[in-house]
This record gives sequence, structure tokens and C-alpha cells, in this order.
Amino acid sequence: MNCEECRELIDPYIDNELDVSATILLKSHLRECPQCRPLLESRKALQTLLKRPELQFEIPDTLRGKIRSALPDATVRAQHRSRTRSIIPWVFVPFALAAALAVVLAILKPGGIPDRSRTNALAEEVISSHVRSLLATHLLDVPSTDQHTVKPWFDGKLKFSPPVQDFAEHGFRLIGGRLDYLDGREVAAVVYQRNKHIINLFIWPSESAPSAAAKGFTKDGFNVLHWESDGFEFWAVSDVNAADLKAFATLELNQS
Amino acid sequence: MNDEQTRARFERLLLPLLTDAYNLARWLMKNQEDAEDMVQDSYVKAFRFFGGFHEGGNCRAWFLRIVRNTCYTSLEARKLKEKEVPFEDYEYDVLEDPAPLPTAVLDKSATIQGVRKAVEQLPAEFREALVLREFEGLSYKEIADVSGVPLGTVMSRLARARNQLQVILLEQKKQEIL
Repeated sequence: MNCEECRELIDPYIDNELDVSATILLKSHLRECPQCRPLLESRKALQTLLKRPELQFEIPDTLRGKIRSALPDATVRAQHRSRTRSIIPWVFVPFALAAALAVVLAILKPGGIPDRSRTNALAEEVISSHVRSLLATHLLDVPSTDQHTVKPWFDGKLKFSPPVQDFAEHGFRLIGGRLDYLDGREVAAVVYQRNKHIINLFIWPSESAPSAAAKGFTKDGFNVLHWESDGFEFWAVSDVNAADLKAFATLELNQS
Repeated sequence: MNDEQTRARFERLLLPLLTDAYNLARWLMKNQEDAEDMVQDSYVKAFRFFGGFHEGGNCRAWFLRIVRNTCYTSLEARKLKEKEVPFEDYEYDVLEDPAPLPTAVLDKSATIQGVRKAVEQLPAEFREALVLREFEGLSYKEIADVSGVPLGTVMSRLARARNQLQVILLEQKKQEIL
């Protein structure tokens, strides 16, 4: 072994990453070579220095708590609550306000007496589905940013053909689709990404008389928008802010 | 597995890695506040992708990779924002020579602050390799997985990191004497 090879191998040697035969060669070179021995010694000294326990950073006191509260605990609660959905939802001030507004808007529209309990329950179900899609591995059945891939995939799986369009140029990137189950039926979930946030857009054929009014819900940091158009029910859900979700819904509405 | 079980398993496997995660983020971000944010983000991400992690896999390497990537994403974003102020200083990059260091210099005289400062002066890739090896105790293979580079790159980054660190520490020592 020459000095150059020795220098190459000195680091794997002190890191115990060298195989036996190379180790033997290196050791015999180091025994004989006065130029290379100081390198080994300084490496060892450096390692000793870096082993000093004071170099380790202490975890800030508050970090553990921050992490626990950052983990989607609220979402687990949301899922839990949705399982006991038949019980009247109990703490829900922003939602109640949104629902009240929706009711007022709906009543102002002729002929529109909304089935409020149904839409409220559905909004919760939509949030639960959204949360489940994020927690589990099951966000996408068909990962693709190409609407011409995603749409035919749905056509082969469902009895209806949901509209699928990419809005990447508006900051809502299509990332794929999956089948989901909502309101007692199979539905299309078209998945979009806004910055780091995921938007699930659930689509299925509308059965009630179409109502032009969109309805908004908010709960546990999630925003939900519901509208009907072209014979489909649309439910968009995400943790993006309400304005972004509205912008998204507007794009959807305008394409159809 | 239901949500409660998943959550319990996540906490059992991932929360013990907090010290490792925080230290890696702290070395990469070079300050406490950013490091805390990165660790928090990493836990949220890890939770989201937890389904993709298989029991029996190398959980530590898997999670440190998430931490590492989270830090880099943030540093990259910052780099774009602060174009005129390069966040890495590459002036040490040219110092290829191993420059064996008198061991006496490294013994007692180097202060903890001095060593930390020296490590922080390393270019990001070298610092990352060094931190994963010396402070996190990862094998070359694990470092390759975390950093997403081949083994040979790990080896050369480590060698260059140590060379440069020796040079920086020696410079520190000279400055003290002057």
C-alpha cells in the first residue's frame, strides 16, 4: 500500500468500515510510514474531540409538547367523532355559524329547504375521509399529474364519469385520484396539491334538484366547500385557508 | 390497525428519536428556532408517511432522512429568497490537503464553542456527513441512505469534512495565539 491509498482509506479505517484484508495492509503501512502516522493520530484526536458529550445539543423543554400538539391529534378526534356521528356534534361554533349562514342563504332562495342534517353529516364524513386519506397509505390509487390518465382510470372504475382537470398553472396541481366511499356510495376522489397542502375533491352524481348556492363548512382547521354543478355533487376539503379553497372551487365551477 | 394503535406505534418508535432528530436539525440549520420548526415538521411528515414505513425497517435512518430532507427544503427555499447572501461559505472547499494536525492542538485547548463553530463552518454536505457519522453514529451505508448518495460519496465527504475541520481548528488556534 502506498501513502495515497493509505490516505484514501484512513477514514473508513477509523470508522470501522474497512474489510479485514484492507485493514491488515493499512496497519502494516502505518507501522512503516512516518508520513502517514501523524494523519492517523490527528484523525483519532479529532474523533476524541467530537466524542465530548457536551457537544450534544439539549432538547429545548417545550419541543416535546410542540410536537405532540403538532401531530394530527385533532384529526384523530375528528375521525372518532364521525364514528359517533348520530350523536349531535357538540362543540362546533364556526361550523354552526357557517351552517346558519348556509341555511339563511338557502331559505332566501326559492324552493330551497335544505336537508340540513344530511349536509352537516356529509360535511363531517367528507372531513373524516380527507383525514383518513392523509393518515393512511391510501391517498392515491392512481398517482398522476395528467388529467388524461386520471379521468379514464375513473371511467373504468365507476358508473359515472367525473370531470377531472389540472389547475397547476393556478397553483392547484392535480396529483392523482382514488376511489372512496361517501354517503353510502362509491365516489371519485380527485386529489390536488396546493403548496404543501392536499385538497380532496369528492365527486358523485347529484340526486337532488340542483342548488346553485355553494355551502362552506369549517371544523378542526379543515375547510369544506360543497356545490352542485352539471349533475354532480362536489365536495372539496382541505386544510388550506377558506379563500384558497374558494379560489379552487371557482376554477372547478368555471371549467364545467 | 386502527388509528389509536397507529398513533401508539408511531409514538413508541419515533418519539425516542427526538434527541437524534433535534441534533441533526440543529447542526444543519445552525440555530435553535429553525431546528425546532424542522423537527416539528418532520414529525408531522413522518406521521403522514408512517404507513409507508415497514416494521423491522431501519426506523432511525428512515426518520433522519425525513429530518434531513425537511431541513434541506427549508434551506433551499431560504437560499432562493436571499440570493445575494449565499448561505454556505465555500472558501474552505479548496483546501484539499489533509494537513495533519499536531494532536496537542486538539486535546484540551479546543473549547466546545470553538468546535461547534468549526463544524458549522463546514459546507452543508460535509457537515451533514460528519454529523451523521460522529454525532448520530450512523454507518456509511446508513448515511448513504439518509443523504441519498452513493457509498463512495459518503467516504469522500467524510474525509474532506475531517480535513477541513482540522484546518479550521488549527486556524482558530493560530488566532488565539496572535
